[in-house]
Amino acid sequence: MRIFDPHIHMTSRTTDDYEAMHAAGVRAVVEPAFWLGQPRTNVGSFTDYFDSLIGWERFRAAQFGIRHHCALALNPKEANDPRCAPVLDVLPRYLEKDGVVAVGEVGYDSMTPEEDEAFARQLELAIRHELPALVHTPHRDKAAGTARTLDLVRESGLPAERVLVDHLNETTVRAVADSGCWMGFSIYPDTKMDEERMVAILREYGTDRVLVNSAADWGRSDPLKTHKTGLAMLAAGFDEAAVDQVLWRNPLDFYGQSGRLVLDDVTPGETFAGNSVLRGERP
Amino acid sequence: MTFYLGYGTNGFANHRLDDALSVIADLGYTGVALTLDHHHLDPFAPDVGRQVKKVAARLDSLGLGVVVETGARFLLDRRRKHHPTMVSDEQHVRVDFLLRALEIAADLGADCVSFWSGIVPAGVDDDEAWQRMKAGVTAVLDGAARHGVPLALEPEPGMLVERLDQALRLREELGSPALLGITLDVGHCVAVEPRDAADCVRRAGDLLLNVQLDDMLPGVHEHLEFGEGSLDLPATLAALEEIGYTGLAAVELPRHSHAAPEVARRALSALRAALPHPWLADAVRSVRSDPTTVRTLFPAVGRKVGRTPVSPDSDPHGVVRGTVDDRARTRLLAALAAVTGPEELAAELTDLYRHGDDAERRGVLRALASVGDEVPEAGVDLVKDALRSNDTRLVAAALGPFAATHLDAHTWRHGVLKCLFLGIPLAAVAGLDRRADAELERMVAAFAEERRAAGRTVPDDALYLLRSQD
Repeated sequence: MRIFDPHIHMTSRTTDDYEAMHAAGVRAVVEPAFWLGQPRTNVGSFTDYFDSLIGWERFRAAQFGIRHHCALALNPKEANDPRCAPVLDVLPRYLEKDGVVAVGEVGYDSMTPEEDEAFARQLELAIRHELPALVHTPHRDKAAGTARTLDLVRESGLPAERVLVDHLNETTVRAVADSGCWMGFSIYPDTKMDEERMVAILREYGTDRVLVNSAADWGRSDPLKTHKTGLAMLAAGFDEAAVDQVLWRNPLDFYGQSGRLVLDDVTPGETFAGNSVLRGERP
Repeated sequence: MTFYLGYGTNGFANHRLDDALSVIADLGYTGVALTLDHHHLDPFAPDVGRQVKKVAARLDSLGLGVVVETGARFLLDRRRKHHPTMVSDEQHVRVDFLLRALEIAADLGADCVSFWSGIVPAGVDDDEAWQRMKAGVTAVLDGAARHGVPLALEPEPGMLVERLDQALRLREELGSPALLGITLDVGHCVAVEPRDAADCVRRAGDLLLNVQLDDMLPGVHEHLEFGEGSLDLPATLAALEEIGYTGLAAVELPRHSHAAPEVARRALSALRAALPHPWLADAVRSVRSDPTTVRTLFPAVGRKVGRTPVSPDSDPHGVVRGTVDDRARTRLLAALAAVTGPEELAAELTDLYRHGDDAERRGVLRALASVGDEVPEAGVDLVKDALRSNDTRLVAAALGPFAATHLDAHTWRHGVLKCLFLGIPLAAVAGLDRRADAELERMVAAFAEERRAAGRTVPDDALYLLRSQD
């Protein structure tokens, strides 16, 4: 089973996770920019984070045989903080970097006017920088938030096939399926979705335009949920081609629209800024 | 490519003009610098009008653009090479020839007529020669106006006007006539100019009407094939793109006629290899018209032009000489420097570095060799930042010519020592022989001693440095 996790926050994960992911078949990931669990207080906090997503974390993943890409954005939660919103002015510099394959996570958290503004501006940036967009749907009032998300995408002029709407569940999948956008599902230990419900959705909606991710971060989450979903699909009678489509080819087709995916064999670099991560045998 | 490539017929002196034009066109050149000479469209031939028509038709059918050159050796005087000139007693002979050349150029549809001043004759002082030159050019400009063909003055080593600054001053003293521009021989820039050919191209800017391409060694006026001298051909061609030059750039190898077809073939392949990537050419134009676009073009360079080392055999990781994307980034920043003041440039370089990934940071550091002199303070800050890191390629990029000139002795010495610690070849350190001093020697000796005490080998570079300081 080859796996491309289209949404995972590796910055918050350990090298044990990288090793386990590689053993389970994960060969490529996309890490979308996100909040830290505690509020950022200034633009520099974002740019340091972006720098690590385009450099250090990519290097760290390569040490374990995994291709790391990222999506960059001002996340909806922090779009409400006037100390953070000016990051939108430096974002264009970062959207042209190697390894940046989408604008994201954008979307709604509390559906404020500030979130509207940041969301719309970042969809414009996706158009200007010829990137797809990864859209987060809110935890609260999810169905209404998803409907409003799809309206805003339509108004933006960004083609539906360049938009991945994420964190879907049984109540929101239909609208996204009808919109032509790609459908993302985050499989969590307790919340969001689990493997069995995911298999049921795949039975109903098919495997086209569907992506499954672990969305693993600093909270309780499991970076092997992609692999476990693949196993659940096989157990439920899906064939290997269907698993490969959901866990590999769909993410590849979606992010491949950026023209910036690099999926050849990983040759671990010796060091990043003089540091190898591995300790012991090398610096 | 904004300009077009050609070859000078004076490099085909053993060919009939018709044959020379065919060979030049067949090789893939799209222009020709036509030196009027006794055997190549003789301007004094009784049937010159008919010949001009024939050559015009031939150029047209071969798709060749043309510039008229007037540097024939024994056309006006059978004994004295290039005689008479614009500063000779018999200046009127030269003026008459140039007027004929303008008429021929008009009939050929040539871009311009190129000419030079002349060697100051014995017994004439420079002031007198300068006044003669001004009077002569004024006389020829009348003809230029009459025929609607511009004149391009070529600074020629050894002559009254031998450097670009002098040509520009002469033009200014004449009241900046619209029909007087510049011919630049890029090899001459290597031989006699205080700045490099790319800078001369930028300085000539919109006044550039004609370009001659060849290699040369500093101080030696001998036209060489590309690669035999010290011309930075890619940088020179990139500068032509950068200023949006649209005229002819023709190879000038007048002493290679004995092997002309082969030499012309080699020259074209060298030119093709050195031409800027089309994406880069567009990017440079974009930066010149809107400097803020550098912010989104600079990060994309590696994806667009590649990342291979400049000298893959001797320097497989580009630690010493850099990579293709480093070079391209230097071009972008040279274009930026040409259209911004020092304050804006310093701010943008700092932002590009601060927001840059590792390749972008190296690109900024390596570009300091070209643009750093304008922003020494900001440049030194960036170099110091890089030297604080343990990233070998970043440290290597930081210790280029800019650091050799601008970095304080203490920081520079510690940079060199860091190279020894990190295993960076000292070949990456510019100006090492010039700047190495007793204190550096002491530091390296202590480093070597420490290594020996620990039972570890001393890097060859350290031993070399200690020996060369003896």
